[in-house]
Amino acid sequence: MRFIPYFLYLLLIGMHQIIWRDMTSIYGATVNLAALIVLGVSLYKSEVIASWFGFAAGIVLAAGFPNVLGWHALALAALGLAAYHVKERLNLESLYTKLLLMFVGILLHNILVLIIQTDRYFYQLWLDALSGAIYTTVIAMIFFLFKEGVITAKKIKSIF
Amino acid sequence: MTWISNLFSRYWRNFHFIFILLLTVILVFNNAAVNGFVSQVAVSAFNYPFFIVKNFFDGLVEVSEKNESLQAALVEASVRLSMLEEARLENNRLRAVLGFEPPPGYSLVPAKVISVAGDKIPVSAVINRGSRDSIFIDQAIINQAGLIGRVVSVSHDFATVQLLTDPTNRVAARVGESREMGIVKYNISEGMVLDNFPIQGTINRGDVILSSGLGGVYPSGLKVGTVNTVEYPEEEPFCNVTLTPAVNFNSIEELFILQLRPL
Repeated sequence: MRFIPYFLYLLLIGMHQIIWRDMTSIYGATVNLAALIVLGVSLYKSEVIASWFGFAAGIVLAAGFPNVLGWHALALAALGLAAYHVKERLNLESLYTKLLLMFVGILLHNILVLIIQTDRYFYQLWLDALSGAIYTTVIAMIFFLFKEGVITAKKIKSIF
Repeated sequence: MTWISNLFSRYWRNFHFIFILLLTVILVFNNAAVNGFVSQVAVSAFNYPFFIVKNFFDGLVEVSEKNESLQAALVEASVRLSMLEEARLENNRLRAVLGFEPPPGYSLVPAKVISVAGDKIPVSAVINRGSRDSIFIDQAIINQAGLIGRVVSVSHDFATVQLLTDPTNRVAARVGESREMGIVKYNISEGMVLDNFPIQGTINRGDVILSSGLGGVYPSGLKVGTVNTVEYPEEEPFCNVTLTPAVNFNSIEELFILQLRPL
């Protein structure tokens, strides 16, 4: 039973890759949902779970590319582990520090993806990596605002 | 066995990391069989169901786009069909007038009706011929059915025709059989009538009424209508004769202007 949420997260990553990724793309910038969820797991769960989930998320992310499967799994597993330790060492609790961690983590992962998949012009991909990291951080901020109770359904209702 | 258990519980974290590292090293080494199998499992479990969903919705979008383009094509085709149908009807009408001969001494100038005016019935029409086609006032207008009216005003490219249905229009006429004369006019209550026809004259239902040529506007021998009813009122010098017009004034489209042939 305890694996079900992680399985659902993996399904979400798969669904994002196939359906939402292109639909939600803004001028080439896409949401890196895999890194977002791995970082989210590492912020709220243990390092072992973060590492295993990162490994699995990497495999799902690169499901169609068997030649780079290992690199993606390694990148996301390492990202999860590193994020967990950064959070533990720096004792990140505020919303902004979490967002900063998210942004740096996603940017790093985007750059790693660039290095793994060197089939496009690097400067163009660098722009995509930066804009994608900003885009994903905005999504993460919305997620954290809901999770920390800054935004609630009740508050949204009261606006209308 | 206890020491193994103790070792595992103390360093369980590290075992996990070593195991993950081992697996990634295997995958990084890029063994085709292993990577292919893992990739296939991942695709089947986490990608394939969404491929099906995506293809389904893509198909719907494609069908919707195709439907839109087909609807546009259908509208275009129906407009074209309607134009072709109009051309077919025009062709039929023109075929019908192909063998139409003008009265002796006249030539025919074909014209098309551009607009008609009138309250309950059309009383005047504008045609696409004007002074540049040598059209002038008081020329008679006919079609293959009979007399339509006369030209009352002319501009460079257009002319206005006063139809026989205009109550102010009069045609000097005679009965085709008896050659007795009267005046054809039109009023809203009775329709077309033959006025001033003497009570002792010979006229019967079905007789053809032709223009007499008197008055100088309309040439003689043009069919105006046929006798519909004849009444002989007591102590009146003239009969009440109603006519059925030769021309259906509600459907005039192509017509001819009678022009005197130069001698």
